Amino acid sequence: MILEAPSLLMKSVLFNLKPLTQIIVIPGLAFILLFAIIVVWFERKLLARAMLRVGPYYCGGRSGVLQLIADFLKLFLKEIVIPQDAHRVLFVSTPIILPTIPALAITLIPFDLDWVLFRAGGLSLPMFFAIAGFSPLIPVFAGWAANNKYTIIGSLRTAFLYISAEIPLVICASAVAIMAGSFDLGRIVESQSTIWFAIPQFIGFIIFFLGLIIEAERTPFDIPTAEVELVLGWRTEFSGILFGFTMMAEYVSFLAWALLFITLYLGGYNGPNILGLPLYSHIFWMLFKLAVLVPIVILIRGVFPRLRMDQLLRLGWYYLMPLSILNLFITLALKLGGIF
Amino acid sequence: MSEPQIEPEIIRISWGPQHPMSGQTRILIDVDGEVVHRLIADLGFTHRGIEKILENRTLLQGLIPIERMAMVDTANIGLGYVLAVEEALGIEPPERANWIRSMICEICRINSHLYAFGLQVESTGYFPAVFLWTTVDREVLLDLLERLTGARWSYNFIIPGGVMNDLPEGFQDKVREAVNYLRGRFRQYWEAMVENAVFEMRCVGVAVLRKEDAIRLGATGPVLRGSGVDMDVRKDEPYAAYGDLDFKVITQPDGDAMARLKVRFHEIEQSLNIIEQVANEIPGGPVRVKIPLFPRPKPGEFLSRVETARGELGIHMFTDGGMNPYRVKINSPSLRNMYVFERLAELNRILVADIPVVINSIDPWYLDCDR
Repeated sequence: MILEAPSLLMKSVLFNLKPLTQIIVIPGLAFILLFAIIVVWFERKLLARAMLRVGPYYCGGRSGVLQLIADFLKLFLKEIVIPQDAHRVLFVSTPIILPTIPALAITLIPFDLDWVLFRAGGLSLPMFFAIAGFSPLIPVFAGWAANNKYTIIGSLRTAFLYISAEIPLVICASAVAIMAGSFDLGRIVESQSTIWFAIPQFIGFIIFFLGLIIEAERTPFDIPTAEVELVLGWRTEFSGILFGFTMMAEYVSFLAWALLFITLYLGGYNGPNILGLPLYSHIFWMLFKLAVLVPIVILIRGVFPRLRMDQLLRLGWYYLMPLSILNLFITLALKLGGIF
Repeated sequence: MSEPQIEPEIIRISWGPQHPMSGQTRILIDVDGEVVHRLIADLGFTHRGIEKILENRTLLQGLIPIERMAMVDTANIGLGYVLAVEEALGIEPPERANWIRSMICEICRINSHLYAFGLQVESTGYFPAVFLWTTVDREVLLDLLERLTGARWSYNFIIPGGVMNDLPEGFQDKVREAVNYLRGRFRQYWEAMVENAVFEMRCVGVAVLRKEDAIRLGATGPVLRGSGVDMDVRKDEPYAAYGDLDFKVITQPDGDAMARLKVRFHEIEQSLNIIEQVANEIPGGPVRVKIPLFPRPKPGEFLSRVETARGELGIHMFTDGGMNPYRVKINSPSLRNMYVFERLAELNRILVADIPVVINSIDPWYLDCDR
């Protein structure tokens, strides 16, 4: 009786702390920030190898792990310059709003059947697209607010880019939902416990992979911020920590789409129970799949030049769109044929 | 420069001189959405008055400022000036000096072409991997030049009457080593650039310059040869040792950005062959003839043409019997190609994203344009 009371207390505290843990640790703030920091560091190290360099070297031992923290501090201490003709409110607020949108979308991703921050049930997949659909609006506003020729061209490009990518992505995701028989991300993951959807939906898998790179605005599709043409596209006028936020937003959005990609096609949190507690091993498998996916996306940046806007539109509307519809029909055929 | 008027609905972007990719110039781009209507090159940011400086120097002192025209390609430009000076002084360099001159010029040409296509690859948005590879590989050649001349840049090694010094001991072996190393590397470049699908999409069919347009607009160098015109001063009017050397003039029929890149690529192969030939077959003898310290040229008009990495350089020198030239007119290849660049938007449909690719496929050296 005496021994039970503290453990009960502990249990109730833990139970009540669960949402707090989710917000603070995983998939919340710490996870997102650590992901951004580690991936940027890893990207700089890996691409430096491709360029016959060593990359970050001095900050935090010879590996330069603390370089990103130093960079962040530097950006934080820098002066924020607001152009004279800019719309001040939008100019300052857009970069701050920007990383929160993909961060909101991450809350829908199940790390375990029980470990979901935002339980949207059967609405979780449409909700993801609804939330993520806001993200192209912000660069458009930001580019307009800065009132600069480069930023305006960059923000127009953003709009084109997202429209040509998002429709094939939605069609592919709905094919997955048809196969799983539910829009609930948790149930989509559970229905992949025998076979990952990457195998029966190979076309959708490839399209979603390309779409993930487009949505995260990474090379070869980083057209809105093409440095050699548009200085930094819609980011040109941002300085100091505002620029830091826009850079962070890129990686948070990359994380959100990578997590969705893993959830839809790579079996989500499914995997052998190797850490004893199912919850821990589920989180482990999620992170492991992320750690395999991220270097592949990063290496693409070192290998391919950037596409042109018209070439990307052609890719999106002539190839990705018809192929995703084909994929939808194949899924329907498989479903009606009773194979899945 | 007074800016020409623009029509409504068209945005004029000032591309440079403060821009990540522009270099020391400004290009005004009139765009309607993504389509470029007009290109205006606003040159002159790096004008140093080299032609005027040369009037206030003796013929030998003039070597120093003229090599500053294009640092990456100093030997070719220096040779152009030296040929004009030799004509004015009426001296003939010894045979061995001519061979050494050819070798240095070809090393410079490789240097310059490596830089050019490194930049072109970077301008397609390639994360600068290939650009840094070319930078690293240039070191091999710069080491050779350092061993030969004592400096990595701007060495003033080619002087009226020959070259400064003979080849150092064991230099030929070093040359062969470097040539073999570079041949191995170029296979990798070919795979990373020409055979890269996305790079091909960005360069093939971009900014096509047809043969008759290239001739009409006065293009020169790799731009002209990329349009299928077989013209190279080294073959047409051999100077230095090019008459005795065995090499081909590279042409490509397509006239697009990729053709110009391929011309540079194959020219590097030819240059490597030339360097190897010089290392193997160089004749013996002295490397310079004595000339007076303050030579007095005969009055008259002297013209020299050389093929630099960017095209034909003409030096037109007038002398009036004094120690200094009366006037030196430099016809620089980069400036000629910039005229072609301005017309490209009228001949083709060019998008904003193509601008860096196009300008770097033309490969102007702005210091050379402005002089």
